[in-house]
Amino acid sequence: MVINKKMAALGLAAAMTIVPLAGCGSNNNSSGASESPSTSPSPSASAPASESASPSPSESAVKLTGDFEIQYFVGGYGDKWWKKVIADFAAANPGLNVKESGGPKINEQNKPRWIGGNPPDFVYIDGPNLNDRQMVEDGQLEDLTDWLKDAKNIDGDKILDILAQQPQQYDGKIYNIPLVLNSWGVFWDKALFSEKGYGEPTDFQSFLGTAEKVKADGITPFIHTGKYPYYINGAILYPAIVSNNNDDYTVLQDMAANKVEAYQSPAVLAALNQIVELRDKGFIDKASIQINHTDSQMLFLQHKDAFIPNGLWLPNEMAKDVPNGFDFGFIPSITQKPGGKVVANTSTATVAIAKNGKNKEAAKAFLQFVFSKAQASQWAELSGAPSNIKGDISSSNAPSFVKDAAKYLTDPNTIVIPTITFNADVDTEMQNATDALTIGKITPEEWVKRVVAVVEKVK
Amino acid sequence: MKAVSEKWQRNLFIGTFIVPTLVFFCIFTIYPVIQALYYSMFDWSGMSDKKEFIGFDNFKDMFKDPIIWRAIGNDYFLVAGKIVGIMLLATFFAVALTRFNFKLAGFFRSIFFIPNVISVVVIGVLWNFIYNPQIGFLNAFLSLFTEDKVTITWLGFTSHTIWMLLPPAVWAGIGFYMILLIAAIQNIPDSYFEAAELEGANQWTQFKSITVPLIWEQMKVSIINIMMTTLNGSFVIVWIMTEGGPDNSTQVMGSYLYQMAFRQYHFGFAAAIGVLILVLSLVTTVIMQRLLHQETVEMS
Amino acid sequence: MNLGIKNPFVKVVFYAILAIWGISVLYPLLWTLLDALKDNQQFFFHAPWALPDFPLLWSNFSYVWNKYNFDSYFINSIVVTGGSTFLGLLLSASTAYVLARYKFKGSNALYLLYISSMMVPFILALIPLFFLMNSMHLINTKIGLIFVYASSVIAFGVFVLVGFFKSLPKELEEASIMDGASLYGTFFRVMLPLSQPGLVTVGIVNVLNIWNEYIVGTILINDPKQYTLPVEIGVMQAEMQYRTEWGPLFAALLMTIIPVLIVYIVFQRRIASGITAGAVK
Repeated sequence: MVINKKMAALGLAAAMTIVPLAGCGSNNNSSGASESPSTSPSPSASAPASESASPSPSESAVKLTGDFEIQYFVGGYGDKWWKKVIADFAAANPGLNVKESGGPKINEQNKPRWIGGNPPDFVYIDGPNLNDRQMVEDGQLEDLTDWLKDAKNIDGDKILDILAQQPQQYDGKIYNIPLVLNSWGVFWDKALFSEKGYGEPTDFQSFLGTAEKVKADGITPFIHTGKYPYYINGAILYPAIVSNNNDDYTVLQDMAANKVEAYQSPAVLAALNQIVELRDKGFIDKASIQINHTDSQMLFLQHKDAFIPNGLWLPNEMAKDVPNGFDFGFIPSITQKPGGKVVANTSTATVAIAKNGKNKEAAKAFLQFVFSKAQASQWAELSGAPSNIKGDISSSNAPSFVKDAAKYLTDPNTIVIPTITFNADVDTEMQNATDALTIGKITPEEWVKRVVAVVEKVK
Repeated sequence: MKAVSEKWQRNLFIGTFIVPTLVFFCIFTIYPVIQALYYSMFDWSGMSDKKEFIGFDNFKDMFKDPIIWRAIGNDYFLVAGKIVGIMLLATFFAVALTRFNFKLAGFFRSIFFIPNVISVVVIGVLWNFIYNPQIGFLNAFLSLFTEDKVTITWLGFTSHTIWMLLPPAVWAGIGFYMILLIAAIQNIPDSYFEAAELEGANQWTQFKSITVPLIWEQMKVSIINIMMTTLNGSFVIVWIMTEGGPDNSTQVMGSYLYQMAFRQYHFGFAAAIGVLILVLSLVTTVIMQRLLHQETVEMS
Repeated sequence: MNLGIKNPFVKVVFYAILAIWGISVLYPLLWTLLDALKDNQQFFFHAPWALPDFPLLWSNFSYVWNKYNFDSYFINSIVVTGGSTFLGLLLSASTAYVLARYKFKGSNALYLLYISSMMVPFILALIPLFFLMNSMHLINTKIGLIFVYASSVIAFGVFVLVGFFKSLPKELEEASIMDGASLYGTFFRVMLPLSQPGLVTVGIVNVLNIWNEYIVGTILINDPKQYTLPVEIGVMQAEMQYRTEWGPLFAALLMTIIPVLIVYIVFQRRIASGITAGAVK
């Protein structure tokens, strides 16, 4: 019943690699003058066993020993890739005792260890309750700026060169490297749309038109994950703010930098008013407010709702429950004016080394192991999602949503927003306020007022 | 001589029975609590090496935070609702199952306690399914009586969503207090009721003038216990069912503490909330002791 | 003699209320069982009270059993609950006895210390507790969890047992001392057996609380081999958010409920008389 999801993933992965991601790649001017990198580029494995196709040119200088612990969150991408890569890494480093702590609650579970100064050596930052910005501010992550400058992976490629999206910088320093690349956007079922003759949305006007028709047929046009409102913020609100700001995404970066003026800009208000329009036209499913992602996604798959804001992991996450003939359509944003540019709000999940980790050498070697082209395609294959490494293997029978995603993302007319992390308090307030907005509890002006109050406080 | 050694033996006995418990208690309970009080004076994210001493600023911030006021309101709403709901039903069940010769009394007594042995985690998951707007029990049930499908978002009202958390809390709490009150009622000598019966007092009069005064002590204990467990523990069900949402409308102090400590990285502030819970439950206990005590006096 | 109700109408109303509450208690259990045998499609397209389609999906149970090591979590839960209940009883009974029978300097203060600590929200102590356990190398150990749980139940035990010991007649101890028994002998051989109902009360309440405890377990245990049942359920529930498996989720819920339910059915009278003894003092 499920069409070949793996192939889909591969295809998407392939597509994503060609994407020239804007707004990155300017890390050469940062970090000032510094001495030679702390570690030699390749203290890596003796031989990255079976899996990696190309032979490693960098022969092992240091033999890795001791314990090495990896923390990874298990969410929509599953844990197949982690199991595999950890097994491969362990096989390549027989002297190393590799331990893994993974799971859907691992971020909460391991938090006390981070607090207690006894964290795992290597961390994959994804899922709820783990905020990279906060970890950097708390001095939990190892400064990788110097090391990364000319670190090479096990194949001898420079790691920075093969990243689709460059690492985020905090005051010119790099602490975490993006491993997974995702775009927020809106999904629908192409099969349903062609059967019923609904137009696929290309801008806000056409979206409203389709929603009107859908509603007339007794289907609720739009459902979102109200219990976790970052879905609607990521897929609707932030792209809308950029569209309303003449396609200039620096407004979001200013917001993330806690600049009050950015929140008070007319673009924010205009974007909020677009959500209000959806609300007032009765397009938003009333169930949204209390349900989590699986529930909202299930309703979407069952055609109770026509559109859902989500991330590219959605088809893989729900693979088991996708009905026969369901054909994912995807667009990164729906709030642009007719003829306006599509805005893709990307989000990455990153990996980092704990500052208080005990085996940083092994952690660095693991970074070099992970950021190789072989692992990139393996990630795509096992996790059903695009990785942040260029040079994935290609595939042609990708389903349409992948092609859609690729088409939008490779189009020079698409505005690609690099990953932005907000302050945790501000983020929480924006989520709550958006929820309140969607159920008519507050006005857009009050949204701004509430969020600004929090921004003032955290500044 | 003998007296001295006896005294010494007595003290040794007291010491061996008191000290190990006290030491254990100090290490694993008192010390962490004092540490937490100490942290409430700091601006600390919980993960950072940097701790900044800020005195009572966390508390000052707290009084300016509208969410904390809502949380306090929600907490006391739950306290009041649970006391009324649980005490009414538990007392009714206790009386019905002891005084009225029902055939199935034993059976009812057994099954009414069942929710008390089930973990709150499980209860939260079950009730989430009851309230689910699309595939939930409640809407499906109501839809039987309406033309259109009912799609009420039981956990998503703009306000008063906290009301929806009351039924699971009451449902889960009744059994324990019912058993407690049954025991109290069974302790009342039958002769009291027989005498009343002879004087022609009906069941209601008997309930009012014999049962209630004589089980008042247990009712008092129950009420205070409900209050304390609610203030200190209601956040578990809140956390599992709504995570305090939507838009903080179901936040209670405990869930807000958890949110602040583990989601928003303000451990100092969270510790201050803990202190607030502590102070409020102490104050409330004292007030309730007063109120309920006076009533006993009036009764007897 | 209880006399029952004469008015048949009132009687019917009372029965109805009891029956409704009885259904509200039993039905969720039945519902859990039925839903544990369904697949996702049935959740969506059938009424919530609909019977599961044939073939019944008993595989949901084995799926949960095999995929998640439920047997070892049971053992962990039993060890932790048993250990901490026993230790907690020992610690609270000894102190309660002394507080009930002996007056000494600070005895009132000590009693107040324990009683007032019951009002301290435990969540407040979590992070400091973690630091403490970490430095004592008790993180991820059952013994660490046992210590924390045992300590957390001392106050309640003291509260109930002091009242209980006070209600016991002094003559028995005096007779025992006369017979030449030591203070310790009197306690262990005379008072402790006499206080059995009180100990059962405290024990049962503690068993229920500890068996179902979730937050402390989650914070202090992050090694999957050491999980207790509620911690595992929490983890499972979180995983379900990424892998809609309602049937297996209900199967897991049922498998967590059943053991406590069996314990309850078997020890029902003890539990009821336990609570009774504690409350009536």
